[in-house]
Amino acid sequence: MSWIQRRWRLRRDRDRDRAGEIEEHINLLADELVGLGRSQEDARREARLKFGNPRVKLEEVHDMNRLPILDTLTRDLSYAVRVLRRSPAFTLTAILTLGLAIGANSAVFSLADTILIRPLPYPEPDKLAQIVLHVRSPRGEDTDDAVDGLIWENLRDHTTCIDAAVYTEGSSGANVIRDNAAAYVQQQRVGAGFFRVLGISPAMGREFSLEEDRPGGQAVTVVSHDLWQRMFQGDPDIVGKQILLKGSSYQVIGVMPKGFRSTSPVDLWTPLRATHDGEGSGTNFQVIARLKPGVTWTGAQVALLGLPADAFRLLQLDKDHNAALSLRPLQEALAADVHDPIVMLIAAVGAVLLIACVNLAALLLARGGSRAKEMATRMALGSGRIAVVRQLMVESLVLAIAGGALGLLAGALGLDGLKLLGSDTFQEWTNVTLDGRIIAGTAALSLLTSVVFGLVPAWQASRLDVNAALVEGGTRSIAGGSRHWPRRALVVAEVALGVVLLVTAGLLMRTFVNLRRLDPGFDPSHIVTASVSLHDARYTTSAAVTHLFDGTIERLEREPGIESAAVSLGLPYQRLLNMGFRFTDEPDTAENQRIANVSYVTSDFFKTLRVPIRDGRELTSGDGPKSAPVVVVNETLARISSKSRNPVGRRLRFGGVEREIVGIAGNIQQHGSGFFLEGMTRGPISTTPTIYLPAAQTGDGFLGVHVWFSPVWSVRARSAAEGEAAIRRAVAAVDPLLPVVDVRSMESVMASSMQQQRLLLTLVAVLAGAALLLAAIGIHGLIAHSVAERSREIGIRLALGASATATVRDVALSGVWLSMLGGAIGVGLSVLAVRLVQSSLWGVGEHDPATYVGVAGFLLLVSAIASVVPALKIARLDPAKTLRQ
Amino acid sequence: MRRRQAKTGEGDLLAGTLDMLILRTLQAGPAHGLAIAQVIERRSDDVLFVEQGSLYPALHRLEARGWISPFWGLSEANRRARFYKLTAAGKRQLTAETSRWRELARAVGRVLKPAHH
Repeated sequence: MSWIQRRWRLRRDRDRDRAGEIEEHINLLADELVGLGRSQEDARREARLKFGNPRVKLEEVHDMNRLPILDTLTRDLSYAVRVLRRSPAFTLTAILTLGLAIGANSAVFSLADTILIRPLPYPEPDKLAQIVLHVRSPRGEDTDDAVDGLIWENLRDHTTCIDAAVYTEGSSGANVIRDNAAAYVQQQRVGAGFFRVLGISPAMGREFSLEEDRPGGQAVTVVSHDLWQRMFQGDPDIVGKQILLKGSSYQVIGVMPKGFRSTSPVDLWTPLRATHDGEGSGTNFQVIARLKPGVTWTGAQVALLGLPADAFRLLQLDKDHNAALSLRPLQEALAADVHDPIVMLIAAVGAVLLIACVNLAALLLARGGSRAKEMATRMALGSGRIAVVRQLMVESLVLAIAGGALGLLAGALGLDGLKLLGSDTFQEWTNVTLDGRIIAGTAALSLLTSVVFGLVPAWQASRLDVNAALVEGGTRSIAGGSRHWPRRALVVAEVALGVVLLVTAGLLMRTFVNLRRLDPGFDPSHIVTASVSLHDARYTTSAAVTHLFDGTIERLEREPGIESAAVSLGLPYQRLLNMGFRFTDEPDTAENQRIANVSYVTSDFFKTLRVPIRDGRELTSGDGPKSAPVVVVNETLARISSKSRNPVGRRLRFGGVEREIVGIAGNIQQHGSGFFLEGMTRGPISTTPTIYLPAAQTGDGFLGVHVWFSPVWSVRARSAAEGEAAIRRAVAAVDPLLPVVDVRSMESVMASSMQQQRLLLTLVAVLAGAALLLAAIGIHGLIAHSVAERSREIGIRLALGASATATVRDVALSGVWLSMLGGAIGVGLSVLAVRLVQSSLWGVGEHDPATYVGVAGFLLLVSAIASVVPALKIARLDPAKTLRQ
Repeated sequence: MRRRQAKTGEGDLLAGTLDMLILRTLQAGPAHGLAIAQVIERRSDDVLFVEQGSLYPALHRLEARGWISPFWGLSEANRRARFYKLTAAGKRQLTAETSRWRELARAVGRVLKPAHH
């Protein structure tokens, strides 16, 4: 760089010297002439004449120094910048359009790439698979990635071509205590060989051995790098030390390397100890496998089919059902949840990108057309065609570079925004960064777009008949409708795409509104919730649990700011426990096995949440471990189970205990539990049949549910801060080493149950808005350009007596007709496109007429405005002036 | 446009000749631009008229080739002026050019001489 700087400086100095030298030469000449008798002025003039044109000479010298190409380009560049600055509206629109499109593109594609396309961060990820269970029946086929203990044992013992490991999918919260500091961490239970199958061994220590993975084996744990840093301060001797996990002592035997990711965010791992009893009697495990060297996918698949039929015994299938296992690539399996939303996002962003390109094309086309006169003049003055084309190309490049730079910035910001919005719902989004390849790709895209669209008008302009252009000037475009058809087609395409996005957004909006408008069944205002993990050796008896609950509630209700408090196994709008039960007055057959949500609650539950009791009574403190077992059921269960009789007084049996129904409570909305019975509404949120039992009457065995569920305190308080503080104080008073987590308001809990819908809605609505804006700009541009071009013709018409209003109306209508055409096409496209969204809709049909009509109306309004505004210029036309132009 | 002209036909010959004349003039001693132009005019008895401005591209060329080197000095009228002096390379170039020119002139002369035999 300094070489160029030096050359430039040297040249500048030389030029200065040269100019000075010439000046002095002329002075000398003048002096001589003065000496010969001329006057000062005459002498100077004559000297100048005698010398010749100094400027020309200087330029000659200058020319001898130059690199011609560099100078031409520099000139073109500065001219391009000047020209672009003179039409700020065009320049800004073009750059913003490019930037917006490229930014959105980069952000969403980076997301999609990381989640869907990029391979897993494990060695040879194309050999990793998830085991899937298929159950075929006459009705159809169900698939699930969960297996039970017996299937796993058969898999482990009978297949030699894959290396399999068992684990549980999610992580659960657990309390860890070390040196009197307590923390709430995510724990995942995995079998021996889990890390080996993934292909990543611990950075320190080792993973679980087969002995440790058996019931009765040593209590050991492997911790994550982050937990090692956070809780153990990176202690280099951590391997072999003891920690208190869930109240029991565990020995740390290994630390995973930094950046290791399991199937979900996890802080530590413990042995799963899978058997085919207890937990293993149900489909509660997942299995990953790695193909052994030399084994193909088909080979492994065939081997899986060779499993003995006895392996599926625990599934207790009917005679006409059968089960089989298959392999599914792990990448696919992990991305399954987020697959649909991402595909939808890509489609939406693709549409916006298309619209943006279309707008840009139209802009550049129009500009090329209106600069015809300028191009003709330049060519008449001697510029070659190549020079004209080159000039226009440089302009397009400047736009492309500016737009690309803005796009990069927008992309980075957009990705941050997406991560902010989506990280709660989709854990994997937190690690996404803007990919270098995508940046290069979008840079290329922006250059290509500008160059291609800049090329067309460049060639158009340079092929002008120079004479004709100069002479005809503005009259070339009498009634130029047919000449403009490419631009009109572009506008129609834009509007059609915009409509598709709008319809999608409209349907998603209605889904969301429907969900929000569901009657919660209780009063969610002023309720603060908090949770603890009781998956802990200190809370294995009902007595201990009850002591905790009663102690905290007693303290809470004594506080002045607290109206009432309760504990329950789960909250409204959340998933509850599924359990089978039957009515004792019905025969014990398979048909009479029913299923319902079960939750335990303390006595003030219904009062705290203000749930109405429709019949019978609510649970009281009198319903304790020594009194008769009772339950309260909700309306749905009452209605479904006892069509004719009043269920109060009826007895049902679950968990090995017979209990009496003493009351019927109003329905509360819960998150769908995966089963649907007659009379229930299907959807992400519904009123499932629910049984409430008193917390004091849960047996010790029931407390096994704390492996998966954490009890939640609900407190009706004057303010959120007071509520939170009170809960923490109360819990700390009863058990100081029990961490309180997840403190949220009930409204926040409700909102998060609808998080996915809200996220999708936000994203699509924003894109739809952008698309509509771009389409409106397109229409506006078309009409404005048409008016400007036809100003002479319109001036003539006005002069001949046409009314201004009628002319405005005609011009505006042409824009409206275009957008109506686009709208019709768009509606047609929507009918096809909404199939992508189908799985996210609820409570509204995909061909919901109200949405389509609403979108059509909105479109009509926007296009009318976009057409009328530029047409209004006609009203301000002075016919005399335009005729003179 | 201008550069193209300088390369074709007459202009070329003139440029080369001008260079030689300048070098010859400077052989007698350093001079500034105006002086060089006047000397050429005078010594050719005003046959060769040099548009004084045209001197400068020639001077620039000669300077770029390292045959002359410039310096600022004071002229007779005590005005600041840029002087040029011949370099060693310039001297060698002058000798070469002069002998080439003489050869050319002799050859042209032989052709033009009326045939006698």
